[in-house]
Amino acid sequence: MNTAVHPDPQGSLIEDLKRGNSSAYKKAVREYSPGMLAVARFYLDYSSAEEIVQDCWVTVIDAIHKFEGRSSLKTWLHRIVANRCKNKLRSSKREVAIDFSESLEPELANRFNATGRWDLPPSLKFHESADTLMENDALSDCLDKHLSALPETQRSALMLYEAHQHKSEDVCNILDVSASNLRVLLHRARQKIFLMVETFQETGEC
Amino acid sequence: MLMCRDLAGIASDYIDGELTGRRNLSVKMHLMMCKHCRSFIGNLRASTDLMKAHSSSKPDEEFIRRIDERVAEALKTRKPRDGNNE
Ligand SMILES: [Zn+2]
Repeated sequence: MNTAVHPDPQGSLIEDLKRGNSSAYKKAVREYSPGMLAVARFYLDYSSAEEIVQDCWVTVIDAIHKFEGRSSLKTWLHRIVANRCKNKLRSSKREVAIDFSESLEPELANRFNATGRWDLPPSLKFHESADTLMENDALSDCLDKHLSALPETQRSALMLYEAHQHKSEDVCNILDVSASNLRVLLHRARQKIFLMVETFQETGEC
Repeated sequence: MLMCRDLAGIASDYIDGELTGRRNLSVKMHLMMCKHCRSFIGNLRASTDLMKAHSSSKPDEEFIRRIDERVAEALKTRKPRDGNNE
């Protein structure tokens, strides 16, 4: 087996982190912190979540020597954050309350008639790519507003799954939710984003 | 028979390829006949892509800066392990 010919960019980043290289830390902080914050916000309010992410990075400086590469660096970091949050919740005896009972948003559920057909069908039209649409500042601000208004649990599930592209098993593992509950969280969050974009396109209002 | 309302409830499962055999097939059959549900699936996909494009665009600079400061502080107080720390 010839392993030397494969360049492994993540491997060299990890080596640099182990050496305490400060520019490697800057790079890693920029790349991984948004995902770590998404994990923390599943459990905690914004300011506690931010504090936990900072604390985790300080822990990582020592803990990185124990990192053996069995998972990706991203998954490893996300687990550290999740464990810290769980410990914090345990010590303050707070529970994460999640409603998994309905998979349809009430606002969407109202749009069907008694026979279960669309009464008020979806009206969104996409003529441009997502990237082009995001150049619209008003839409971008509106998305910001609605993303931050999502229940933390839904937002974290959405961020980890979509924006940070974790596999379902990893998200379940990190957030401690069952596979079927993750499905509900994702679906509820997507419907809210859809409803928001639809309203924005129809009325120009956020 | 699968109604529009039922389909809307499992639309994300369909999009993510999480539905198994018969259920997946019944969604496909419904979509062939129902333009509203086709448009709902398309809309849900497109809004998700929009969200993805949006949230991958910009980390909060203040948040990143505060972490950089904490890390730099912590690195200073630690002895380099493998000899040189560049
Ligand atoms: Zn339909």
